[in-house]
Amino acid sequence: MEALRENEAEEKEEEKKAFKIGDELQDLEEKLSKIQVHIPNIHEFDWSSVDTSQLPASYKINSAKEKMMLHIAANFRRQYTHLCPDRKELFLHPLNECGVEKFVSTTVRPTLLPYPELYNWDGCARFVSDYLTMEPLPNPIEPPSSLFSPTTIVKYQRGNCFDFSMLLCSLLIGVGYDAYCVYGYATREICMMDETREVCPLLKKSKEAQKETVKEKTEKYAVKPPRDLRSKFELQQAAKKEAEIQVAKQKKQEEEEERIMEAEKPKPDSLYGLRVHAWVLVLSGKREVPESFFIDPFTAKSYSTTDGHFLGIEALWNHVNYWVNMQSCLNGCKDLIFDLGNPLRWEFMLLGADKPLLLLPNEEEEEELADEDLDTLDKEEEEKGSDMPPSWVDPIQISLKEFETRCPQGKKVIHYKKAKLEKWAPYLNSNGLVERLTVFEDQDCTKVLEVTQWFKNREDLLEMRQVNKITEVTTEYFGPGHALGLKAHVYKSMNPETERTMEFYNETRVDGLRKRVENAHEMTEYFAGRSDFLYYRHTNFGKRTKRAQILVANPDANARPIMQIKECFHRNLEKPANEDVAERIFMISEERILLTYHLQENYITASKREFIKRADVDNKGNKIIMTPDMCLNYQVGSSQEDKKLIHLYKMMLKLMEEEKRLKHQVWESGTEVLEILKIREEEEGASKLTVSIYDTERNEKGKKQREAMERQMQEERQRQDEQDLDYLAPFIIQMGNTEKMTKWQALRLKEDCLTDFKYRLIDKANIIQLRFEKETQELQKKQQWYQQNQLSMTVEDEEAYIAYCSDAMFRIRILEMRLSRHKETAPQKYIALEEKLCKDPRLSEYLKLYA
Amino acid sequence: MNRIYDTIEPNVIDQEMLQKAVEEQGPQEEAGQLAKREGIDFKDVTELQLDFRNILKIDNLWQFANLTKLQLDNNIIEKIEALDSLVHLVWLDLSFNNIETIEGLHALVKLQDLSLYNNRISKIENMDTLQELQIFSIGNNNLTSLENVVYLRKFSKLRTLNLAGNPLCDNEQYSMFIAAHLPDLVYLDFRLVDENTRELAEIKYQYAIDELKQGEAQALAKLEEEQAKQKELDYHKAAYVEYLNGPFLFESMYAEDAEANKLAYLPGMPDLLETYRNKFESVCEKLFAYGLEQYEKRQAEVSTFYKCLQEALAANQEQGRKIILDFENQNVGLLEVVQDMSSFDMAETKLAKYNNDITQLSDTLMMLEMQTVDQLEEIIKDFERNIADLVSTFIENVQGMMAQCRDLENHHHEKLLEISINTLEKIVKSEFEEEIPDDVRMLFVDKDTIVNAVNASHDIHLLKIDNREDDIITKANSWQAVVIEEVHKNEIARNRSRVKEINQYIDHLQEELDNLESLEPVE
Repeated sequence: MEALRENEAEEKEEEKKAFKIGDELQDLEEKLSKIQVHIPNIHEFDWSSVDTSQLPASYKINSAKEKMMLHIAANFRRQYTHLCPDRKELFLHPLNECGVEKFVSTTVRPTLLPYPELYNWDGCARFVSDYLTMEPLPNPIEPPSSLFSPTTIVKYQRGNCFDFSMLLCSLLIGVGYDAYCVYGYATREICMMDETREVCPLLKKSKEAQKETVKEKTEKYAVKPPRDLRSKFELQQAAKKEAEIQVAKQKKQEEEEERIMEAEKPKPDSLYGLRVHAWVLVLSGKREVPESFFIDPFTAKSYSTTDGHFLGIEALWNHVNYWVNMQSCLNGCKDLIFDLGNPLRWEFMLLGADKPLLLLPNEEEEEELADEDLDTLDKEEEEKGSDMPPSWVDPIQISLKEFETRCPQGKKVIHYKKAKLEKWAPYLNSNGLVERLTVFEDQDCTKVLEVTQWFKNREDLLEMRQVNKITEVTTEYFGPGHALGLKAHVYKSMNPETERTMEFYNETRVDGLRKRVENAHEMTEYFAGRSDFLYYRHTNFGKRTKRAQILVANPDANARPIMQIKECFHRNLEKPANEDVAERIFMISEERILLTYHLQENYITASKREFIKRADVDNKGNKIIMTPDMCLNYQVGSSQEDKKLIHLYKMMLKLMEEEKRLKHQVWESGTEVLEILKIREEEEGASKLTVSIYDTERNEKGKKQREAMERQMQEERQRQDEQDLDYLAPFIIQMGNTEKMTKWQALRLKEDCLTDFKYRLIDKANIIQLRFEKETQELQKKQQWYQQNQLSMTVEDEEAYIAYCSDAMFRIRILEMRLSRHKETAPQKYIALEEKLCKDPRLSEYLKLYA
Repeated sequence: MNRIYDTIEPNVIDQEMLQKAVEEQGPQEEAGQLAKREGIDFKDVTELQLDFRNILKIDNLWQFANLTKLQLDNNIIEKIEALDSLVHLVWLDLSFNNIETIEGLHALVKLQDLSLYNNRISKIENMDTLQELQIFSIGNNNLTSLENVVYLRKFSKLRTLNLAGNPLCDNEQYSMFIAAHLPDLVYLDFRLVDENTRELAEIKYQYAIDELKQGEAQALAKLEEEQAKQKELDYHKAAYVEYLNGPFLFESMYAEDAEANKLAYLPGMPDLLETYRNKFESVCEKLFAYGLEQYEKRQAEVSTFYKCLQEALAANQEQGRKIILDFENQNVGLLEVVQDMSSFDMAETKLAKYNNDITQLSDTLMMLEMQTVDQLEEIIKDFERNIADLVSTFIENVQGMMAQCRDLENHHHEKLLEISINTLEKIVKSEFEEEIPDDVRMLFVDKDTIVNAVNASHDIHLLKIDNREDDIITKANSWQAVVIEEVHKNEIARNRSRVKEINQYIDHLQEELDNLESLEPVE
């Protein structure tokens, strides 16, 4: 490409000269035409280089049963070609990676993988579509000549539609779906995995939200609306006019849409209806699937069985059988009926294997069978009816890492209509980016409208960021647990006092703040769940005075002057409505405070109270505390002004106190915003990722700990090995010269060792005997003493004596048993030691000779 | 205690004393000046202190309707009285007085803190209504009986108790007894009741306490049962079919009927009576079930009506509110602007327009109200008609069922008459062999007597049935009248208050405008 660009540049330069020198132009053109640029082909994977040497034997040879199966298949094919000569050849036993013919049903390997995401069909389909890279069929109108095992496909992470379907089918059957591989025909978009004409599924708005069930309950005593006194005719005319305008508008819109549609329409496909494709059919019944549907393995999308993208079916198979479609596909797949038990519609290959949707054989129908040959075919089948041999493919294995990484190299790009979706594996990007959706304004994807990014495992809990390129507005969404309960942040720039909206998790905040909307002149805060029923606070700021601007050094003094604070409250049912403030406005600049109370039941006007703060000194120099005209009242329901001045005065004092508090609150809000902005900036700069403690791969600390433990274990084991007693060591030391031993010395060594052991054994026996005797003696003594003092004994002493006796007897018996066992085992131990010594590497060579 | 009346002049609570106390204890400083200028209403006072004033008799406190704290300590009060109007009282201090009995406190249901320290009380009593009581001080009195303290068990919120200085404290079991019998008590005689003592006490008095508890539990269960029964009965009464789900009516027919009891001795009577009774009861049951069903229907009708009414009113309120808000938003700051306006003419035209707007607002609101009145009138008429229908159907059916009862009675009467006459004939012919009491035999002297007796019984029965029927019908009719009247009354009240509100609001607006206009020429 660069070469081309250079050439073009050159060309431009040359052109200037060319204007001057006319005849050189031709020469140049000639020269230029000689220069040709080849865009290098994208490295194509060479399947012939697949390493087959490591594959097990079942991949390389056919078992007897498989051979039998192939034989049946060949027979089936023969009959089929005979009966339906005009149909395409069946896809029955393609070659596998080792060049061996294998029957397609045995290539399906039902597997259950240990990932919960893969338990449902959509998870499986998404995994397969992400995990493999799509390759078009070598010949778009013929099925491939070979079909590799799913394990090989998984290993190399690429494949054509047949490979995709086989893998997906294996997974789906593994988790219990009634799934089939389908071989048939589809449109170019499906076959080439071309989604540029599809609207991105992420952009499809959920239409459920629009559904609003407005149930007009016509109650018995509902009031009738007041009579409409307008002229019916005029209304009619107006409605007519309105309708006309509407129609015109609609027409225009339709035309516009049509034009766009026309522009977007794909070029006609010359191979329409001939393109071979393979996909997956899931039949209803198992796993609570209510209705049969297709899954396109490339895009992981589900289609109804009547979808227009699928143009026909040749055959379908799963791990137990193979069915050929006998229905007409003139209308695409719209008229197909998937009752695989019906031999009229679906010609099966193996009888006896379980037939889904088995229908009772209808006598009449069978008689009606015009085609005698089909009957005979059936019979032959019955005779030969044999089970499908087990799959020759190894179980599919996908490691956790591979599963997480998903796409090859962990990255995948999908183009949609006016949109581009990029996917990454988690932890691949250092900022935690896992998905990015770019929405374009035009079909050619040049003008970016909006970029949406999804993040995972970020320390700052950022989950999604949306940047609107036109309005320059950035929206960030955070998971619960962010500092100060931040939930979402909408902004244009990170500078303070500019337009921004912050949403919070109000449940986690003490002040119940839900949302804060800000711009240069005002700040609005929304609250929820507060005990003082406050739900709204609006602050108006004035312009900074110039003097304040000079004092930039002290940012606190540079606060914007507050002009007005307005607060709204929900109704507090504990207070009477007339005393429950609904709204209060502190007009700080005008020194006024306005209170509006809640509406009383069935009242349409609310009580109001206005306080006017006046100078504290009247014209005579007396201090004015409170005068009636400082408070303007409108009291609903009662005409007399029953409130005394003293109450109003108290109320005003309280309100002034409140005003001070509010000013402080506003200031605090401002500083909180600054703090959040600071935190955000820091976080954005650091962009750390968190690792779950359950993630054994990435949890560095845990890994280290585990490794340390393992190392420790190993050391322990080593030490134990070392500690295995070396019987000979002391004797060898005695001998001194260990390097070279004579035979005699070796014998001597052995003898010494054995005698020593013998003595030890005897000693042990002696010790036991000694103890035995001691115990018996003591017991006898005690007995004597008892007999002597029997009469003068207290009951307690006697009890103690009896307890001692039984204890002593127990000990004696134990000693006796120990002695007898020792006598028994001692010779055995002696022999064992001798054998061990004979085998000892240091002695064996000498002793062998001796033996 | 040792006050001598001769040396100390007893005082009376009078206006002067109260005024002084209120002023002294009222707001201070600036607010105080303000208060002084305006004067303080006694009903605004929440706390009052009248100590060391030698008051002999509590009086003249009725004006302090909102009092929450009253201190009358260190006086010479002899009787608790005249406190009935101080229902908001939370704290009452009557310590250091000469009170001998606890009384006159039953109205103070919010009382939490009561001090009767240093008086001459010998028994705790008359406090059943003070369920909020938390702190009770009755030290230095003449309480002698420990058993009397058990009375305090009924105050479930009582946490602090002071009994020190009473003769009963000399009892060595004193603290144990209290700890055992008042398990929720936290402080006794200014000291924390420690766990140890409580455990010991519990073990010691286990049986006594268990007995007490059982008694209390039984009383509670009984009360609950009674309440449940009463509730059901109230429900039946509301449906006008109380005591119809059983033999009550039948029994009441025979309760006052002396003749019938005598006639019951006749041969064949028990069987006849039994079948009659069964049939009668089944009709009553039917009536009962029907009554309940109809009651539910009526209730449903009323609640639907009120629901719709509420909805309509809410919609109307919304509409009115919107009109007013629109008006206010339109004219916000108008007066200020006009005030600052330089050109007098411009201001004048603005004001004229505002004036106009006010009039228009008034018209709009009034029109809305008229419309609402019309709408409501319509649905109220519907409602009235439906209720009348319901009640009349109910009455008709009740009458029908009562007629069945009457038929049964007539039938029974005929049978009875027949038996009686047969018996009479037998007796006359001396063929009657069964034993019957003498007073019954007395009836069979001649035909007139027996027929009269039977007829008398029949009349009593019919009268009972008639009465019951009348009762149901009157009640149903009066219910109808009450419901309808209430609806009308509410509607009229609503209309009045709305019209008044609109007028008041318009007046308020006008007044604002007038104030401005009166200012204008001056400026």
